[in-house]
Amino acid sequence: MRRLAGVEDEEKWLAEGIAGIQHNAFFMHRALDANNLREVLKYSALMLSELRTSKLSPQKYYDLYMRAFDQLRQLEVFFKDESRHGLPVVDLYELVQHAGNILPRMYLLCTVGSVYIKSKQAPSKDVLKDLVEMCRGVQHPIRGLFLRSYLAQVSRDKLPEIGSEYEGDANTVMDAVEFVLQNFTEMNKLWVRIQHQGPGTVREKQEKERNELRDLVGKNLHVLGQIEGVDLEMYKETVLPRVLEQVVNCKDELAQYYLMECIIQVFPDEYHLQTLETLLAACTQLMPTVDTKIVLTQLMDRLSNYAASSPDVLHEFLQVEAFAKLSNAIGKVIDTQIEMPIVGAMTLFVSLLTFTLRVHPDRLDYVDQILGACVVKLSSVPKLEDSRAMKQVVALLSAPLEKYNDIVTALTLSNYPRVMDHLDDGTNKVMAMLIIQSIMKNDSCISTADKVEVLFELIKGLIKDLDGTDTEELDEEDFQEEQNSVARLIHMLDNEEPEEMLKIICVVRKHLMTGGTRRLPFTVPPLVFSALRLVRQLESQDRDVTGEDVQASPRKIFQILNQTIEVLSSVPCPELALRLYLQCAEAASDCDLEPVAYEFFTQAFILYEEEIADSKAQVTAIHLISGTLQRINVFGVENRDTLTHKATGYSARLLKKPDQCRAVYACSHLFWVDDLDGIKDGERVLLCLRRALRIANAAQQMANATRGSSGPVTLFVEILNKYLYFYEKGNPHITPSDIQSLIELINTEMQSDDNNNGNTRNHSDPFFTSTLRYIRFQKQKGGLMGDKYDLIKL
Amino acid sequence: MSMRRRSLLKVIVLGDSGVGKTSLMNQYVNNKFSQQYKATIGADFVTKELQIDDRLVTLQIWDTAGQERFQSLGAAFYRGADCCVLVYDVNYLKSFDSLDNWHEEFLKQASPRDPTAFPFILLGNKVDIDGGNSRVVSEKKAREWCAQKGNICYYETSAKEDYNVDESFLCITKLALTNERDQDIYFQGIPESGSEPEQRGGCAC
Repeated sequence: MRRLAGVEDEEKWLAEGIAGIQHNAFFMHRALDANNLREVLKYSALMLSELRTSKLSPQKYYDLYMRAFDQLRQLEVFFKDESRHGLPVVDLYELVQHAGNILPRMYLLCTVGSVYIKSKQAPSKDVLKDLVEMCRGVQHPIRGLFLRSYLAQVSRDKLPEIGSEYEGDANTVMDAVEFVLQNFTEMNKLWVRIQHQGPGTVREKQEKERNELRDLVGKNLHVLGQIEGVDLEMYKETVLPRVLEQVVNCKDELAQYYLMECIIQVFPDEYHLQTLETLLAACTQLMPTVDTKIVLTQLMDRLSNYAASSPDVLHEFLQVEAFAKLSNAIGKVIDTQIEMPIVGAMTLFVSLLTFTLRVHPDRLDYVDQILGACVVKLSSVPKLEDSRAMKQVVALLSAPLEKYNDIVTALTLSNYPRVMDHLDDGTNKVMAMLIIQSIMKNDSCISTADKVEVLFELIKGLIKDLDGTDTEELDEEDFQEEQNSVARLIHMLDNEEPEEMLKIICVVRKHLMTGGTRRLPFTVPPLVFSALRLVRQLESQDRDVTGEDVQASPRKIFQILNQTIEVLSSVPCPELALRLYLQCAEAASDCDLEPVAYEFFTQAFILYEEEIADSKAQVTAIHLISGTLQRINVFGVENRDTLTHKATGYSARLLKKPDQCRAVYACSHLFWVDDLDGIKDGERVLLCLRRALRIANAAQQMANATRGSSGPVTLFVEILNKYLYFYEKGNPHITPSDIQSLIELINTEMQSDDNNNGNTRNHSDPFFTSTLRYIRFQKQKGGLMGDKYDLIKL
Repeated sequence: MSMRRRSLLKVIVLGDSGVGKTSLMNQYVNNKFSQQYKATIGADFVTKELQIDDRLVTLQIWDTAGQERFQSLGAAFYRGADCCVLVYDVNYLKSFDSLDNWHEEFLKQASPRDPTAFPFILLGNKVDIDGGNSRVVSEKKAREWCAQKGNICYYETSAKEDYNVDESFLCITKLALTNERDQDIYFQGIPESGSEPEQRGGCAC
């Protein structure tokens, strides 16, 4: 409750102060109207006495101060006009010094002083010197600071800067600088003194007060930065050394931290570059409790922005060896401040890296150097657990990725993987995903086995289970996204030169094999297809593959493929493996490698026989096998017969009759290939179709037996369409009467279905109807086709 | 005999750091421009005298810190302002988005008697950069904002090229004049020559 009372009291005092000012200002104005100098001085002094209070905190005091300030502007107008008060300004200057109390006296004096300088009756420098020294009379920190602030404000436009009307032989910019420096020094002393007042219990309040007052001190630095004529030379020789002297010597943590910040912000970047060593040296002389890393970070950020603003300025950075100086300074800070938490060191590195990427993007050695320093620091802690520090490390690793759109550049940084090693597993994976995203976004192509090796080492968190991870914990969706990213990545690895490409494939394979059964189904397919792409490339190139040192040959690649797909049995995922075997078989066929193609088919059949038990899966699988076999033309008669026999056999032994029927009639295509020199065994085609028909009949009978009515005629119509297909293709074993009989059969089946159901309406099957329509349409075609179809009697 | 009335007008310039407040003032008062960025600390004013019709006007233009950390003393100096200038950088969207904050904050701190009638003006600075190709805030968008805030005057400016600087400050002056505060202590215009002081209406206390 005591605290609350304090605030209320302050409000009351402030209100009283304001009332006092307004009261006396009223009378002051009346006196101004009457041009009564004596009364003016009397009431203005009374008014200014309100500023003698010690009861107000800085912000409230400022309120009071501003009200007085506004009034003093009117007073100044009065003082300027000699015709109103009759006194020459030099006499006025003397007169106001008779005011009773020092504070009102000084405010009045500064106000007259401003007029005095403007009148040019005395050199600006002399008056300013007089005023800045006389202000020493007020040693109370808050009052003194505001008084000096007032002096600074009214003198601002009267400094003898270059080009000002107050400049002359006797008044130089040096005098202006001297004045501001002196005021600054005195203000800093007043400011720093605040903490030494009062008992320890009040310390918190004092710190708040100090913070509120700081801009009064800092403003002087701003003024120094704005004075016309303070060039680099003067800044280097006079301004900076004097300011830093005060900063270092005051030995006050708050002041040092704030003032360093001000220096960095109010002076131009160009100056900072040229005085870099001095600035950095000052940082090492600050009190140990000052957070120098923030100061350094601010400096680097500012310089980074400067570098980014224009390419013209980059040579300045080189000229002053900015990088060397900054990295040394940072190294020193990190080494000496051993209690600095890891996140602090990482933040510094991030700032330095940002700076380096902007100023020296071509110096990969600098970038690597920074990463190296980071590794050293990270190695000093047993385990990195701070999530903020982790974030900074990710930022550190992401920066080169973003800067060099080409991931390959980042891959050459030897310390990059070492930094990644220090990430925890979760963050490691996040980083790995970022790397892959960067590659995908920039369409980067990784083209040598060495680079691929480095890359996979970097992303190993995605490739395999790292020690200590529990993959059971991982969200299924996230896991899939990860693995799909890896899969996409594999397609970005490419080299036109087959030898190198094969090396790449082998490196990838080596890494993927460590992935474990959860990952293989995602990662093996893209690897397989990548290898097949190489095979086709080799095939089309027609290279000489017989040499001793030629590694990249289709045969060799198929060996690798076989071994790779075999690994899937450990998952197990036979359906996937089967598809991959068939892909390989087809590719082998295109390469004229009959034994290899046969071997792949054998593997496929083994999987079918032993691993694929689900009836639906079997249907899909057998269709895939037949479909692939149909396209393959490399087999000799014996091999082909063996395989087609197996295919038709398995087709006929599927679980459900309709599936059997369809699989068998699909096999008919195995015996008729439309190519120029493709097989065209019309008899065996018909055998297949008839077999399919028998199965369809059996299916109908089963339907009758179990349901009492026949099933749909769909199967028959499908078979009919096959008959028509081969009839059109010119299979001599398929006759018009075959077709007619089948049509009759279908009609019969449909009618019997009607009869059984007691339907008087004609049952119609849309597929059948459109098939008949097709036949009629073909008849009308004319020509050979028309003749063919004419033979079919409907 | 002719009277020349003297007025002191207080103008506050607000906006994010780096938009060009100090540069605009420098250009206006000193006809100078520097490319180097130097942060402003605290708040301080410069004065410029203008002649408008029969009036001699002293503009007290307050330049402020855009960076929050350099505003430690608060906004007591807003009090008594006759006009507020809001500045943003047409090439930097965030500086435009901040305008709502600056507008609101000013009204809160300065507490003008009639907030809806208080004169504001908006300056869209740095129109010279890259020939206008880096612009991210269109004139249309800015004018819409101005209309929404009660038809604030808008000027596109370039402190570097000295484009529209004088014009905008002239407008500011005129706006401030229309809002010249009645002082609670009565005020008389100061005649140039020693003639009878003119009685000006103020509050009757």
